[in-house]
Amino acid sequence: MKGSEHLILSAAEKLQRKILGLLGRSLLFAVTSVAALSVLAILFFIARDAWPFFRDKGVAAFFFSTAWYPAHQPPEFGAAAIFVGSLLVTLTAVALAVPPGVLAAICMSDILPFSVRQVLKPVVEMLAAIPSVVYGFFALTVLAPFLQDSGKWLPGGFEISSGVNALNASVILGVMALPTIVSVSEDALQAAGRELREGSYALGATRAETLVKVVLPAAVSGVFSAVLLGIMRAMGETMVVWMASGNAAQIPKPWYNLLQPVRTLTATIAGDMGEADQMTGSAHYHVLFAMGLSLLVISFLCNLAGEWIVTRQRKRLRGG
Amino acid sequence: MTDTVKQNVEAHVEARGFSVYYGSQEAVKKVDLAIPSCQVTAIIGPSGCGKSTFLRAINRMNDLITGCHTQGELFFDGQNVYSGDVDTAVVRRRIGMVFQKPNPFPKSIYDNVAYGPRLHGSYSRRQLDAIVEESLVDAALWDEVKDRLEKNALGLSGGQAQRLCLARALAVKPEMLLMDEPTSALDPKATARIEELIVQLRGRYTIAIVTHNMQQAARVSDMTAFFYEGNLVEFDATKDLFTRPREKRTEDYITGRFG
Amino acid sequence: MHMRTRRFLDRAFTSAACLAVGLMVLFLLFVLGPIFVKGAGAYVFMGTVEHRRMMLDQFDRGNEERVTAEWLDVQQARRPVYEALSAFEKELPGLPAARRKELKPAFKAVREGVAELLGPEPGEPLPALTRKMYGQTRWTKAQEKLKEIRFEESWDYSAGAGRKVLTSRQPLFDGTALAPLFPLLERDARKLLRPRLTFYPRFLTDVSIDAHFFGGIGPEVLGTMYLALGAMLIAVPLGIIAAIYFQEYAKEGPVMTFLRSCVNTLAGVPSIVFGLFGLAFFINTMHVSSGKSVLAGALTLALLVLPTVIRSSEEAIAAVPRAYKEGAMALGAGPWRTILTVILPAALPGILTGIVISMGRAAGETAPIIFTAAVSVGKMIGPTEIASQPTPALSWNLYNLCTEHEAVNEIRHVQFGMAATLVVIVLALNLVAILIRARVARRLKG
Ligand SMILES: Nc1ncnc2c1ncn2[C@@H]1O[C@H](COP(=O)(O)OP(=O)(O)O)[C@@H](O)[C@H]1O
Ligand SMILES: [Mg+2]
Repeated sequence: MKGSEHLILSAAEKLQRKILGLLGRSLLFAVTSVAALSVLAILFFIARDAWPFFRDKGVAAFFFSTAWYPAHQPPEFGAAAIFVGSLLVTLTAVALAVPPGVLAAICMSDILPFSVRQVLKPVVEMLAAIPSVVYGFFALTVLAPFLQDSGKWLPGGFEISSGVNALNASVILGVMALPTIVSVSEDALQAAGRELREGSYALGATRAETLVKVVLPAAVSGVFSAVLLGIMRAMGETMVVWMASGNAAQIPKPWYNLLQPVRTLTATIAGDMGEADQMTGSAHYHVLFAMGLSLLVISFLCNLAGEWIVTRQRKRLRGG
Repeated sequence: MTDTVKQNVEAHVEARGFSVYYGSQEAVKKVDLAIPSCQVTAIIGPSGCGKSTFLRAINRMNDLITGCHTQGELFFDGQNVYSGDVDTAVVRRRIGMVFQKPNPFPKSIYDNVAYGPRLHGSYSRRQLDAIVEESLVDAALWDEVKDRLEKNALGLSGGQAQRLCLARALAVKPEMLLMDEPTSALDPKATARIEELIVQLRGRYTIAIVTHNMQQAARVSDMTAFFYEGNLVEFDATKDLFTRPREKRTEDYITGRFG
Repeated sequence: MHMRTRRFLDRAFTSAACLAVGLMVLFLLFVLGPIFVKGAGAYVFMGTVEHRRMMLDQFDRGNEERVTAEWLDVQQARRPVYEALSAFEKELPGLPAARRKELKPAFKAVREGVAELLGPEPGEPLPALTRKMYGQTRWTKAQEKLKEIRFEESWDYSAGAGRKVLTSRQPLFDGTALAPLFPLLERDARKLLRPRLTFYPRFLTDVSIDAHFFGGIGPEVLGTMYLALGAMLIAVPLGIIAAIYFQEYAKEGPVMTFLRSCVNTLAGVPSIVFGLFGLAFFINTMHVSSGKSVLAGALTLALLVLPTVIRSSEEAIAAVPRAYKEGAMALGAGPWRTILTVILPAALPGILTGIVISMGRAAGETAPIIFTAAVSVGKMIGPTEIASQPTPALSWNLYNLCTEHEAVNEIRHVQFGMAATLVVIVLALNLVAILIRARVARRLKG
């Protein structure tokens, strides 16, 4: 090998390399595009199968009517109650999960020693890894009977007619959203930096004061994205709400009565597709795609909001 | 020691009006420099003066940096390294490089040394064994690692790792070696071993070494180039440059008035 | 503010934060505890002679001679039960009409209860359903049935909310030929059923018999494995190539920014929407199979885990020191060789971690496979049927068994066994990921 291999490529070699390089690059680019652009394909095909519903039945009844009678003659597809159900369990779940989630994140980033944190990290990961159907199974077989019985112990001999209701689903969704909220908030808190904390301690502030008045405000955009991700996880979850929410397409009376059963978009899609004509398409089939499209749009919006928060934060940091 | 070689110098690398830019910033400015064959050439200068940039330009390592481009000519073995038809793989095969921080791959010691040969040709296991041994012997590492060739190279000490990187570079039988502050991450003892090695390899390879350490330049090199703010200020036999610098800036630098 | 109040607030805050962490740990234990404890009951339990008989008949397992001998003994022990039943049946027409009217339904309940507990009476034709051919195979279940025979369950609504009331049936039959039955059942239950500690590890691989009344969850486990492995087989090459492109080739610009936000958006798509897409695209448009199939499910799941694979691979590639790349380049390696021989091997542990976690996710997901791959009842499918056949899967069948099965309460042990198995598979994959990460951290340290 020693000796003078020529440095200069012949014209043919050069062409060959150029072509091979270009080919490889384009192949990589093609594969990457397929992977990335699949989300557009999803949007397209969901919209394609949702379109016949909106074309034939219009938009207003779908969003504003609560009459959900897909099996009647003629069928009615008012999904307002289902939208409310999704919103209700999602917001309740996040409201339940955010305070303990953020507190736990604070505890893990600022209070516990490093070694304990190393042990807790897997706990958070395990909570996140448990399949949703297992959470649903837990909700159905353990939490539901417990909830139903718990009415007796409450003052006034409160009667809970069924353990599968909005509260059950919300609690479990909250537990499922918890790991996301904890780990994303923790990252945000860590990113706030040591100097900030030391500055505050140096002024004689206690740990709580430092965390609440200095660190949390600095990390607030990260916590916001954590909450957004939690909302997305709870909103898109299917199995738990299907198994634990009771699946009654009604708006609870009063609307905040979490002990009544509700029905969500995801559970409706999962539960009704079996009855809808999957191959040739029926109004029932298409309305489920309309719901899927709604979910997709909501998740896109949450994503946009998340990216907006991140860019705004980055700009603020650069400006300040 | 330099005089004997000086008569039959033949420039192995020759830069003519050679400039390197990062975007619009000119890091190396119209340098004319001829690095003689089979000698050790030291490149010294204050931090940020373009030493590494120039060294890395020789085997076209700057190609990796987006926005980096060159002007002028740089000849290696009589051929312009920056002409459009050059095969960078061959350039880099013929010009080996050792970096500031030892960078063995996270593979076995054997695989590290055999990496280059496997890249450029197909060898039988026996031939590879021979190349690996020869390279490790040349890098004065053989005795220390011959019993643990299959162990991961990340377990070596800093000095050993740097010698492994040297062996890795030698294994492809280059004609020239570029060293960018090869001892700045090492302790004095490991530094001394590397310096010894450089002296041993002199005569077989053309060596260009960037260094911060003036004593090191004086100890190991035949020729020394002094760079300042991207310009080649002075280039002379080491002996002369350190005893009778012609330029004021060189003198200031080697007497430690700045740097 | 007073220093004392401030200190108090500080303490309160700290405890609240620690409480939140405690709560999280508690949740985990609270969810996993019952599932593991009861799930273990599918593998280790007190099995009755009926279980051993069933295993011999249905799976041809166990020592035939011993089981037959035991069965003869048990039949001997059961004779008084059946004698009491037939004696009472003969006695019944002779009783006064009022008494007869009172006792007849109770006797019917007892007789049916005994049939459930001990299996069909000797001499009766063999029932068509396998579940009716045997008595209770599990001792805990048998004890429940015993209770149902001895006590009548009714609901008391006098206090507003309903309350369960149990009344013993024994006094009702006092003085009749059936009277000896009750002490017999109470006293000799063990002799009638012979409970014995039974290990049933093949629950994991056995087929189910008669809609999960007997047997194991083999088809579901196999289906889950097909789906998870299939999804990874598709997602991993795509994901790694995309990660390489993003990290090593892509020039930042509007196109890259757009592709990146596409990947981020894909990560946020709800899993049920993936299911809809799989149905609309892979099955109804591309016709990869005429209906649900493992292939369609794996493709759908692959899309679901793709963002995770891309991100974790990207992170792993980005974490490879630049010096490795420069070292390879300086030896004359081209970009491709550098990626294949240096960068990918160095990034491999990180990439593997992402793959293993994604695989756990694919194994546990339900929503994407409902319309694309999963069926409630099905047999083990062979590798050649992947493109044409749907399959049972742990996640879907867990849902199915605890909501849509015709006898949800009779097969609780199977449900818990399935849930525990699924959780163990998923957590084991996560554990592998944690171990890989720890190993890498250790290697980097020294
Ligand atoms: N990758 C790079 N991108 C932009 N500028 C660079 C880069 N590397 C070096 N430079 C600039 O080029 C000049 C010379 O740098 P360098 O060759 O590394 O100096 P030296 O090795 O002599 O300390 C410095 O001003 C430095 O800031
Ligand atoms: Mg330098």
